[in-house]
Amino acid sequence: MKFITAASAVLFFAGTTATAQTLDDLKNDGKNADNILTYGMGYHQQRYSPLKQVDRSTVKRLVPVWNLSLNNEWGEQSQPIVYNGVMYVTNARATVAIDIASGKQIWKQTLDWPPETPRVVCCGVSNKGAAIYNGKVYRTTLDAHVVAYDAKTGKEVWKSKAAEWKDGFSLTVAPLIANGVLITGISGAEFGVRGFIDGWDPETGKQLWRHYTIPARGEKGNETWPQDNNAWQIGGGSAWITGSYDPDLDLMYWGIGNPAPWASQSRPGDNLYTSSVLAMRPKTGEVVWYYQFTPNDAYDYDACWELILAELKVQGQPRKVAMQLNRNGFLYVLDRTNGALISAKAYGKVNWASHVDMKTGRPVETDIAKSIREARATEHWPSTRGAKNWEHAAFNPQTGLLYANTLHEGRMYKHLETKPHVVGQRYMYIENLPLPRGAGEPVGHIEAIDPLTAEKKWRVPLTDFQMWSAMLATGGGLLFTGKETGEFIALDADTGKQLWQFQTGSGINAMPVTYTHQGRQYVTVLSGIGGLYWNIAREQLKDTVPQGGSVWTFALMPN
Amino acid sequence: MRGVFASFAVAIAFAWTSATAQSPQLLNFAPEQLKTGADIYARNCSPCHGARMLDPQGAFDLRKFPRDQHERFVNSVTRGKNQMPPWGDLLKPEEIEALWAYVLAGEKG
Repeated sequence: MKFITAASAVLFFAGTTATAQTLDDLKNDGKNADNILTYGMGYHQQRYSPLKQVDRSTVKRLVPVWNLSLNNEWGEQSQPIVYNGVMYVTNARATVAIDIASGKQIWKQTLDWPPETPRVVCCGVSNKGAAIYNGKVYRTTLDAHVVAYDAKTGKEVWKSKAAEWKDGFSLTVAPLIANGVLITGISGAEFGVRGFIDGWDPETGKQLWRHYTIPARGEKGNETWPQDNNAWQIGGGSAWITGSYDPDLDLMYWGIGNPAPWASQSRPGDNLYTSSVLAMRPKTGEVVWYYQFTPNDAYDYDACWELILAELKVQGQPRKVAMQLNRNGFLYVLDRTNGALISAKAYGKVNWASHVDMKTGRPVETDIAKSIREARATEHWPSTRGAKNWEHAAFNPQTGLLYANTLHEGRMYKHLETKPHVVGQRYMYIENLPLPRGAGEPVGHIEAIDPLTAEKKWRVPLTDFQMWSAMLATGGGLLFTGKETGEFIALDADTGKQLWQFQTGSGINAMPVTYTHQGRQYVTVLSGIGGLYWNIAREQLKDTVPQGGSVWTFALMPN
Repeated sequence: MRGVFASFAVAIAFAWTSATAQSPQLLNFAPEQLKTGADIYARNCSPCHGARMLDPQGAFDLRKFPRDQHERFVNSVTRGKNQMPPWGDLLKPEEIEALWAYVLAGEKG
């Protein structure tokens, strides 16, 4: 009897451990401020925390409490995951567990991908972060694998191959755990892959399903591709930013990337489901609805970005919406129950389309688009990098505003004659040259945007370098974000006025988070210049901004 | 095929001599070789080194590559350098020579 009791105790304990960090925990992420369990700080990806120890008046006492080197020169873009006093951080080279109280490294697992792998990485060697579930930490690798580690020890539990990197596939996306399934996307549209989203068994690494983002012959949607060539098989449609998830509707929302090649003449048609959002069932990969932002995308208007979920009042009625500051320059608000278009307003300078037709949901292209499609060098706004790139926006449900680092950039864009696709090699065929910049013309903005009107509550112009760091909004009335020149900054969310800054050791192009530990509010960001903007601005930054990754954690200095 | 190799040899020898003398007249590469180099460049190199070498995206500005350092060029392309990955398993030696020819000859505009 005694034995049975002891065994029951063991079972009970094992049960608690096994369920520690459960689906309910994931669903409620944000309610327990000690933990950050999901990409985007909640399945809704609002990147908002109600924490307010650090606020407009106390932020002047915000100081670094520890710093940990990541010994990595490839750049840091990831969002930390925090669970029970341990932080999990990834980059392209390693996964690291850190004790939050001391800043000491608990374990580190390095990855060794072939040195040729960066050939199939279009826009910077990086990793966006981990997922956590049931005692395991999950991540993707540059050479297109998915890995599970024991969260306590770092020991590898399983590793599954998603695709062959030599065929142009790579993985940088942070995984999503939804309804018990581990979900990953894929990168490689610049190399003519056919994109997909995968569902995996989190316990074993067995693939449960694969949903191709481009339908095969005979499947609905394939009729939007030419029927006399194989464009659909090499048509792109990657998925490299984690989908958001509504557990009540059991729908996840994945933004789908651009078609390949960028030059569009070989693929007439809408090219579904590139440059679209797919609302999918996590258990099966079934697509419940889609909305295409940019039909027959000729501009690399990849729609992978965050789809932020919220409840907005639309004409007095509460609506469950998904919002995206799309690369094509329009801010979309969709009804996330059915994909109906609620609003689509330009939030930056746009010359390729005049507006989005609210009846058809399609952009109305201008003569600029015609000129691009006729392969003439054309001044094009926003450039292929978009009116906003991947640097995630935040949404504060209290103010109802989006906060974002946006881009203000046109380029002289030209389609080139396309040549046959070669597996594993670039498949773009464009020229994209800089335009002269007008005196005083900004290169981007930090801004607060009304989702339904796209009007700016405030806008801070950037005149030196663009900002490619995600935004974090807090209940303390603050925004946290980072600069490529290394400053980690806090802004007044009401005005955009900068209230605080700290110079980190390299440039910041990552995702700040905030959480509590033993009642104290912490703010963490990764520093380590890398990614696409480092490629773009290296010449201007290389003499003043050194490479090298590290984790910076801040808290208020005691009174 | 032999003819192509012969013109390679001549072109390279000429490039070497001319390059060390900083002569502007080192551009006598076979047109087919230049086209091969330009095609490989447009597909694989331009995303980082810039369309027609005009707008290097943070990668080395090839318009400034020392014209007397053929071996350095071949080594860098074959084995990779800094954040440039190796290409030796993908590009044949003659394709790397075609790239070198293209880089030396440059673009007209």
